[in-house]
Amino acid sequence: MSLELPDLLLLAAAIAYLGASALFTVFLLGGPANTGRWAPLLITLAVPLHAAQIVWSSVVSHTCPVRGVHYMMSLAAMLAALTYALVRWRWRIDIVGAFVAPIALTFLLASRWAAGVAREIHPLRSALLPWHVAANLGGVALFSLASAAAVAYIIEERLLKEKKLEGAFQRFPPLEALDRAGHRFLSLGFPLLTFGILTGSLWAHEVEAGGVSAIARAVLGYLSWGLFGSVLVLRAAAGWRGRRAAYGTILGFGVTVVVLILYVLHGAYGVPTPGAP
Amino acid sequence: MIVVLGVSHRTAPIDVRERLGAASEGTAQVLARLSSLPELGEVMWLSTCNRVEIVASVSEDVVDQAVFSMREELARQAGCSDASELVPFLYERRDKDAILHVFRVASSLDSMVLGEPQILGQVKAACDAAARANTIRGKLGSLLRRAFAVAKRVRTETAIGTGSVSVSSVGVDLARRIFADLRECVVLLLGAGEMAEAAARSLGHTARAVRICNRSFDRAASLAGEMHAAAVPWEQLDAELVEADIVVTSTASPIPVVTRDMVKRAARARRGRTLFFIDIAVPRNVEPEVHGLEGVYVYNIDDLEHEVARGLHARRGELDAAERIVRDELESYLAWSRSLDVQPTIVSLRAKVRSVFSAELERSLSGRLKHLGPEERDALTLMLDSATNKLLHEPSTRLKTHAAEMDDAEALAAAVRLLFDLPSEGSEPSIEPADEKTQPKIVQGERRLN
Repeated sequence: MSLELPDLLLLAAAIAYLGASALFTVFLLGGPANTGRWAPLLITLAVPLHAAQIVWSSVVSHTCPVRGVHYMMSLAAMLAALTYALVRWRWRIDIVGAFVAPIALTFLLASRWAAGVAREIHPLRSALLPWHVAANLGGVALFSLASAAAVAYIIEERLLKEKKLEGAFQRFPPLEALDRAGHRFLSLGFPLLTFGILTGSLWAHEVEAGGVSAIARAVLGYLSWGLFGSVLVLRAAAGWRGRRAAYGTILGFGVTVVVLILYVLHGAYGVPTPGAP
Repeated sequence: MIVVLGVSHRTAPIDVRERLGAASEGTAQVLARLSSLPELGEVMWLSTCNRVEIVASVSEDVVDQAVFSMREELARQAGCSDASELVPFLYERRDKDAILHVFRVASSLDSMVLGEPQILGQVKAACDAAARANTIRGKLGSLLRRAFAVAKRVRTETAIGTGSVSVSSVGVDLARRIFADLRECVVLLLGAGEMAEAAARSLGHTARAVRICNRSFDRAASLAGEMHAAAVPWEQLDAELVEADIVVTSTASPIPVVTRDMVKRAARARRGRTLFFIDIAVPRNVEPEVHGLEGVYVYNIDDLEHEVARGLHARRGELDAAERIVRDELESYLAWSRSLDVQPTIVSLRAKVRSVFSAELERSLSGRLKHLGPEERDALTLMLDSATNKLLHEPSTRLKTHAAEMDDAEALAAAVRLLFDLPSEGSEPSIEPADEKTQPKIVQGERRLN
């Protein structure tokens, strides 16, 4: 079986993400300090491979990336990895890559699987649709980073509370840096999600015809928006930061992932898209 | 031969070290006097909190006299009327032991706090001072450069410098693990004990502000004046807990002065900002239950000392690996040094061969080959130069290699001198930096520097 270029690019990106995940695991288990330096570089290397795979695949299949369901997760993962690569040094959040790499790998491979399930979101003829999807994808990417920072925060905070300062604790950045990064990702992602929700509501009448899955997806979309918004509002108004904000972020991202899964499994608006089983 | 004479925390009590450390003369004057002594070739004066020593390169035939002069100089610096007063506290290292000692000192293996990083900078500063005073040149300069490389290797290849080894540094390290930027933090000092002061001094360098709260306001004000901090009345403690990010407690109170209720009240006003307590008082000043509050972390003296012990244990665990590196480097340095011992013999051998060839060429050119023009003559000269180089390349390399591997390089050099009727060498060759660069080529199989 001969592999075509998009397959090779996917394989290369997946290997880079897998390598980064493995190196981060070794690093957190107390391995050599070099592993913690190489792992983020592997993610940085994976980004152009991943981007090339998406572009090449969409060219070959004549599909705009933001319209293909199977590209959605892949794009979100690539954007998350790209954003991580851009800010990790400045925000001192290298360790967040330990969670970004496996997330990106999962989304990348899931996109491959999803390619056989559904082809296109919906044949809506609206100029807003690509923007709607792009905003949602940007939001998903940033929320995945926020939740990765939140997971890292919770782990480090627990180690600090339990006074276990050996091993993995030594490999984490300052606790506050993780909290700040999570807040920044959330603050950047929330306007995108808001835009996605607003533009999505333009097709609400079609949702009504879309069945239980579409309604569930819309409700969950609003729920995730509400959760992320609450985290931001409560932080500003009541000083909910640190552990509480981290749990809220993870919960919001969990709901977002469910929405994504519903998209992939049922296509847009509950209509199984052409080619879906 | 390298000789080291001095006192350190291992051999002399602090009052002796203080007398030497507080010497009125500057390094330049000491170096000037030492270098004026004919028995000392090159010399460096190293003075730190925990050691004062003279490192010198001397000729073997005057080594005892040199050690005597060095001892006199140390006694003079310590203000001893009789040098014998200092003798019980002195250590003396010669030759291989002296080189090993210099490597170990630079690598912080002989420091009071194993692996502390300051000593390397202090040795470099001493080396710079000696270089400025022109009291180090070839041999000692090369030794010191190699010592810096050894220290770097020890630091890179082992974890000898990792982990905090004092209560105050553990506190500061923990603060760095919690807060993204200490420059944004307000440090509150509760009480004015010595350990709290030490921790606050470490944090005070980087913190946005330091405040001192003590039951005796006068004492707080006095300490605040020393530390460029602000003194606050004890009655304002509740309000200060709202503002502070890091609280260092060291009061002599028999009961906790910071209770869970106090911190809980403060936490509401803090709007979720993290609060870190470094409680180094015994009995504890902060109720243990405070640690259970969200966003609040309390580390007491036991926690901190546990970390200190862990840091020291980790460093000691690296000691064997560090010592192996130092001994490995010592052998490499000695091999390189031995290879230089045959350098004069090689130079003589080349000169002899070249002179023989030149004489023969000259005779031929004035005899049977006198018809040759300038170009042909130049070509012949070049050919003989090339033949000399090719002929002597292998013997030169082998001589250096075997000298590096043998303990008695001088015997080998003597054999070559005897075979080729070379003049005997009375003086050591000067060791230039260029020689050091060629070392990895000379000593096959040895680890390359840098």
